[in-house]
Amino acid sequence: MTTTHAPPGQHTAPHKRSRISLEPYLYLLPHAVLFFVFTVYPIGYGLYISMHRWDLLNSNQQFVGFEFFRNLFTAGTPQFEFFWRTLLNTTFFTVVSVPLLVASALGLAVLLHRPIFGRSFFRAVFFMPGILTVSVMGILWRWMFDNQIGLVNAARDLLTGAAPIPWLSTEGLAWVPIVVGTIWWTLGFNMTLYLAALSNVSVSLYEAASLDGASPWQQFRFITWPMLTPITLFVVITTALASFQLFGQSLTITNGGPSRSTQSVIQYITEEGFTNSQISSAAAMGFVFGLMMLILTGAQFRMMARDVTSSSEGK
Amino acid sequence: MKRFALTLSFALLAASSASAQKVSLTYLHGFTGPDRPVMEGLVKKFNDSHPNIEVKAQAQPWGTTWQQLPALVASGRAPDLVVINEDQITGFVARGAVSPLSDAELKTAGIDKAKFFGPLFKTADYKGKSYGVPISSVAYAMFYNKDLMKKVGLDPNKPPRTRAEFLKAAQLCTVDKNGKNSTQAGFDPKNLDTWGVSLYNNWVGARAAYAAILQNGGSMVNGAQNASFNSPQAVSAVQFLVDLVQKQRVARANSTEEAELAAFSQGKVCMFPSGQWYLDRFETQKMNFGVTFMPRVGGTARDAAWGGSSHLTLPKQPTNYSAAKRKAALEFMAWLAQPEQNLAWTATGSLPTQSAVAKNPKFEKAAISGIFDRLGSVYATSGFPWVGQVMGPFDAAWEAAYLGKKTVTQALNDGVAESNKQIDQARKNFN
Repeated sequence: MTTTHAPPGQHTAPHKRSRISLEPYLYLLPHAVLFFVFTVYPIGYGLYISMHRWDLLNSNQQFVGFEFFRNLFTAGTPQFEFFWRTLLNTTFFTVVSVPLLVASALGLAVLLHRPIFGRSFFRAVFFMPGILTVSVMGILWRWMFDNQIGLVNAARDLLTGAAPIPWLSTEGLAWVPIVVGTIWWTLGFNMTLYLAALSNVSVSLYEAASLDGASPWQQFRFITWPMLTPITLFVVITTALASFQLFGQSLTITNGGPSRSTQSVIQYITEEGFTNSQISSAAAMGFVFGLMMLILTGAQFRMMARDVTSSSEGK
Repeated sequence: MKRFALTLSFALLAASSASAQKVSLTYLHGFTGPDRPVMEGLVKKFNDSHPNIEVKAQAQPWGTTWQQLPALVASGRAPDLVVINEDQITGFVARGAVSPLSDAELKTAGIDKAKFFGPLFKTADYKGKSYGVPISSVAYAMFYNKDLMKKVGLDPNKPPRTRAEFLKAAQLCTVDKNGKNSTQAGFDPKNLDTWGVSLYNNWVGARAAYAAILQNGGSMVNGAQNASFNSPQAVSAVQFLVDLVQKQRVARANSTEEAELAAFSQGKVCMFPSGQWYLDRFETQKMNFGVTFMPRVGGTARDAAWGGSSHLTLPKQPTNYSAAKRKAALEFMAWLAQPEQNLAWTATGSLPTQSAVAKNPKFEKAAISGIFDRLGSVYATSGFPWVGQVMGPFDAAWEAAYLGKKTVTQALNDGVAESNKQIDQARKNFN
């Protein structure tokens, strides 16, 4: 509107400034519309659901305030008992699988970065499981670790003659097929990220180090590892977030059993919402869990920003 | 010429009035697998034979329908006909999503409740009213290996019916690697060659306990619709099953459905109780097997086995809903439930919904007819609006008892306590 008093065709400074102030928002508009429709609105509606006894078939949606949130912090309710137990299960899975996933991906990347025979073949082999759907992968590993007829028990029987181990129905051991299966399934992605990062490390650094008499371990410890710090942080964050989202693997391999010992928090929220038809309670749990993930991500990003700056300063 | 014009105008009039009367119905179901073309064939047959009604069928996964139905009913856009399964129907009825079928309506449409298997029709009943008509049904059955039974000296044409007969068969079938069966001295339960019965840890395995509890006069919920699967009858029935593992040693401990299925397919186990849906697999494999109704292992109160079913219902509609549509929907419902259509539907692996179909000579040589004498004793998990809250803890209780992690009493008590806590919360939705 302020542009109207400027003669047309005359590009004065204020004219330009006002155009600049409008243009970026026009570019942002398409995404903003989608963002509001598919992110902001669902979050707002979810909050509404979590604070009402929500059922579309009821003529009125009774407002209950924080009742469903309170259930999570009141001892004796099923939600208190199961939400925290399944959250602990998920945390356990994350703590165990993230170091394994990062270490094995890094190890493989270092091995496959060297010009060995059949390198691209092995790269493809390790990446390939990742293209399977979670149900295929889950059924495969459930069969491998079956209590009676699994390949793992068959191999044990053949080699040692030991009695079969009931992997799938023993608390603790039931995590083995889930963790091993997840590593086998998702390893290739992290490996590829590491391979890309490794190819960016200058060869001259290694040449200089070997002239100074550095052993291969020293080269890894003082060149490769520091140079990979930014990508390692990225891999740790994305892998930790993905691990907290554990759902399909434990659903198909153990169905959360025995006695919920491998049930993930997402599976419990799904059970509350769709098996027990307690949509509002499930929505409340979703918010609490989502908030935790947000805090975790925030903390990790801060750490990442600090570590990357300090490691580049240290160079 | 004049006469011709008159006839023509009458004909046009008739045609236009016919098309004005033509009622179009929307029909939502979840038969999305190999059963889909069979259902589509039936709908086409109905449309071809009923020029005044056009049924437009739509198939989508069951879970999607359970999520969408409340919103559709609330906004007055519900389909005219919806198929709802046994574990969901009471919940939807109690929440007011389905409209009751009055006796007068059923009578006018020609639907006779008495012609269907009693418990099957009652699956869609709630508080004395009927809300749906059964069109598809499956049941928990017991497969048995005829060759293996013959080998251990049992009559392969007389599968067990009572607890005593069942236990005897299981004991004779349980043979160690030295050829000694479980009743003989020196029997080594650690080195089994074959065994009597398949028990396993998942929800399908839990349906054996469900059958046993009902057979002993117990039930999942009591009159107040609270969980009651820890009654003395229930404990005694489940204890018998757990003893098969721990005392009689005629069933494997720590087993899974996959492992028992593989063992039965390989001729290692005599009796494999499970869903009838495995029938096709054993037939393809050309096994010498039979199918029988779940023997009375739990007690002598009655015959019982678990069943699943699909019921054709009329969702609740806005007040200005056309009476012609409701009449046409009832006509389609009655037609689809008729013996002729039900017989065609059994090609999908469904059981007959009524004895008139079960008597069809087509089934005389079919293995599945082994359970037809007791189809009136198949009981679905319905009649209470919180099936998830009851069956989840029940399945977990079975798992804990079968795996020996808890005593039967402890497992069932814990299950009932958890279930009733969840029911108390769910009950608030219905006030």
